[in-house]
Amino acid sequence: MNRGLGEPWRFARCEAAWEGFSPADHLRGEPAVENALLIGLSRQTLLERQLDVVSNNVANVNTTGYKADSSLFEEFLKSGAHEDNFVGSDRQVSYVQDRATFRDFSQGAAEQTKNPLDVAIDGNGFLAVQTAAGERYTRDGGLQLNGQGQLVTTGGNAVLGASGPIVFQPTDHDINITPDGTITVLEGNGKTDSVRGKLRVVSFADAQKLLKEGANLYSAGEGGAAQPDAKSTVRQGFIEKSNVNAVAEMSRMIEVTRAYTQISTLLQQQSDLHKSAIQALADVPA
Amino acid sequence: MQALHTAATGMAAQELNVQVISNNIANLRTTGYKKQTAAFQDLIYEHIRRVGAQASDQGTILPVGIDIGGGVKTVGTPRSMTQGTLSQTGNDLDLAIGGEGFFKILQPDGTYQYTRDGTFQMDNTGRVVTAQGNPVQPTITIPQNSSGLTVNAQGQVSVTLPGSTVSTIVGQIGLTRFINKAGLLPVGNNQFTETGSSGAPQDGLANADGYGNITQGSLEQANVDVVSEMSDLIAAQRAYEMNAKVVSAADQMMQSTSALFR
Repeated sequence: MNRGLGEPWRFARCEAAWEGFSPADHLRGEPAVENALLIGLSRQTLLERQLDVVSNNVANVNTTGYKADSSLFEEFLKSGAHEDNFVGSDRQVSYVQDRATFRDFSQGAAEQTKNPLDVAIDGNGFLAVQTAAGERYTRDGGLQLNGQGQLVTTGGNAVLGASGPIVFQPTDHDINITPDGTITVLEGNGKTDSVRGKLRVVSFADAQKLLKEGANLYSAGEGGAAQPDAKSTVRQGFIEKSNVNAVAEMSRMIEVTRAYTQISTLLQQQSDLHKSAIQALADVPA
Repeated sequence: MQALHTAATGMAAQELNVQVISNNIANLRTTGYKKQTAAFQDLIYEHIRRVGAQASDQGTILPVGIDIGGGVKTVGTPRSMTQGTLSQTGNDLDLAIGGEGFFKILQPDGTYQYTRDGTFQMDNTGRVVTAQGNPVQPTITIPQNSSGLTVNAQGQVSVTLPGSTVSTIVGQIGLTRFINKAGLLPVGNNQFTETGSSGAPQDGLANADGYGNITQGSLEQANVDVVSEMSDLIAAQRAYEMNAKVVSAADQMMQSTSALFR
């Protein structure tokens, strides 16, 4: 027999013959035996990507105001080039595809720092920040001053008040930030509060559409215009910790590794199956 | 595999975190020490599927995208400039500041450094100097054989001269403020120098304009809170371990792939 074993359609033909199809059907069939490998591969690729998401969460377990990401997968039905390739509907092959990374915007724990310029936002709001690339938003309330007395983020971007950046005077002391974001100070020998501005706390109709830009910043993206948020309150002397749930991330990591190893085993078995099938079929009886 | 590198950034960040915490704990009993905290930010994201992109020619848009982050970076170790508690020592030249100001110290090279550590002594010429022998500004010389050295809340130094029964003011210790004192550069010896971030030094007098008052016979303790440092240390250590676990998980996955089809 002069069978070219490298040609996949011949495989398909053999398999189809076992399943009892007529010769006319199996000639049109897809190389079905490869599917297990390809499906396994599609899953492994995504497991790798899921581990990337998990590892980014774990790396940011101590990042102020960080919001955890999680992966969503969907079934991806793959049909052949012509629908009449299939004898029945059960011949459709389902691959797996990642659909999205879903962001968990739940409140992170508030840690007391007693630092007068640390603020934690209680609610769905974001602080508005002026960057070189335009207005950005952050939940990281570890604020600082710069040499000009301007209120800035740890990255050096100006924090926006309701009417532009917030600037302090050289003799200001005893900074107080009220829950609605109003910043007052005592100026020099004065005994009454002077207002230095009001933090611009904004929220979005759909925060999921915000784009993570790194450096604890979000850009509005397709999330629509930033709306003033009166519901969120600001807590002075606290910072919002990362909302990464370490235990959940660790168990997800184990889940990913186990699933990956299982598929590796599956692929190995599939490959062994092919090998023995080839050997058995190619074995010409004497 | 990206996860390996991402976890490595996490390990590096937590290592630095432990370093900062250990420095705080080491300086628990350092007069005028101000604690630092490590501040982290997430690295840039790869937007594999951009949120809000068109999902079909019918104009439907993706409600969520696929963003894969690259890990974490340390953005700074900001110093918490809160007031430390005062502890009484009873020494005439131990001074503590309650407020915003810093003592101004003249260095041998003619520059100025600033400190909250008021452990002062007298040198052989009677000048009020730091533990390194550098004079406090403006320079105050205590006359020989004088007694009853008193420093009031304004920083005025008065002594009773020999043969006299009333006290005489011999000088006034000045204080210096910065618009952003957290932006000062630590140079060791409990001292700081001015930077572009701190703003220019503004000399003034104690007990006015928020410069803070001076308390004689007391020293300002470090503002390190041991309990919170210890819990931060535990958190940092656990975070480090978790990142290490991710590295071994990624390693395991790669191993199972490379073991295929032998």
